[in-house]
Amino acid sequence: MQLSGESIRKLCRARGLSLNSLLKRSGVSKTAFYHLLHKETVLPRSIGALATALGVRPSALLEERDRERRRALRLLEAADRIAGSDPSTDLDNVRHTLLLLEEEPIERLRRSLIRARKPDHHE
Amino acid sequence: MPENLIITNKEIVFLKELSRHKVEFMIVGAAAAALQGAPVVTQDVDLWFKDLSDPGIPKALRKSGGIFVPAFGRNPPTFAGDAVKLFDIFLTMHGLRCFSEEKKNSYEVKLGTLKVRVLNLDRIIKSKETVRRPKDLLILPVLRDALKTIRQGKRIRNSGRTSRGQ
Repeated sequence: MQLSGESIRKLCRARGLSLNSLLKRSGVSKTAFYHLLHKETVLPRSIGALATALGVRPSALLEERDRERRRALRLLEAADRIAGSDPSTDLDNVRHTLLLLEEEPIERLRRSLIRARKPDHHE
Repeated sequence: MPENLIITNKEIVFLKELSRHKVEFMIVGAAAAALQGAPVVTQDVDLWFKDLSDPGIPKALRKSGGIFVPAFGRNPPTFAGDAVKLFDIFLTMHGLRCFSEEKKNSYEVKLGTLKVRVLNLDRIIKSKETVRRPKDLLILPVLRDALKTIRQGKRIRNSGRTSRGQ
């Protein structure tokens, strides 16, 4: 089991918390947090502190690599199937749409606005 | 990246105030497409108002610290102020019917605790096909692919549910 940075960020956003304030609240240092994200296994104490600060069960912060891999493969398979049904369809457009559909609408909108403000993208 | 340009609580407050005052509006354009899952980029959020003289608009603006700037020369009417400068005003949509008719082709999307009306992706495509500005022509293939993906993705999910249920 590994700590899921994505789950933690999502939970923070849902609670209007920044990652920094979560770390402060849970008493976990930034260095320790980023170290934990890259570890294959994590100490129950660190998970416990973060979970308590977010008001969730510790299991909500863990990711199973296989589960993530299965999810990614399912998405790629669906993208292949959809793009394969019509040669005029661009596989990247399909894949990005499927990825965005996994996000909340507000997050999709934020991403589109953020991307528009990077100098290498245009409306 | 200027943080104040990305949709935050300030912008949400304005949309909430519009809803609270029962102003009839919907999100259209690339922002509406993005909300539905299209991988597009946009600089602003286009709001299509049924009636710009709705008294709820100035009330919502006052609450959000924004102001209304009437049309000037070739410039369309616009909003000014931190909380509202992200929004562009639309009174008609090229290639589409009137607001009340197109409302049937829209649905409500949840933005946190707020529900906002968004024009359906197929109608956004129809409008861009009519306008045909260079930037519309660029974005059209992406929007069409996104619509196909959303429709087929739903079918795939539904067939998965059916086969699991059998």
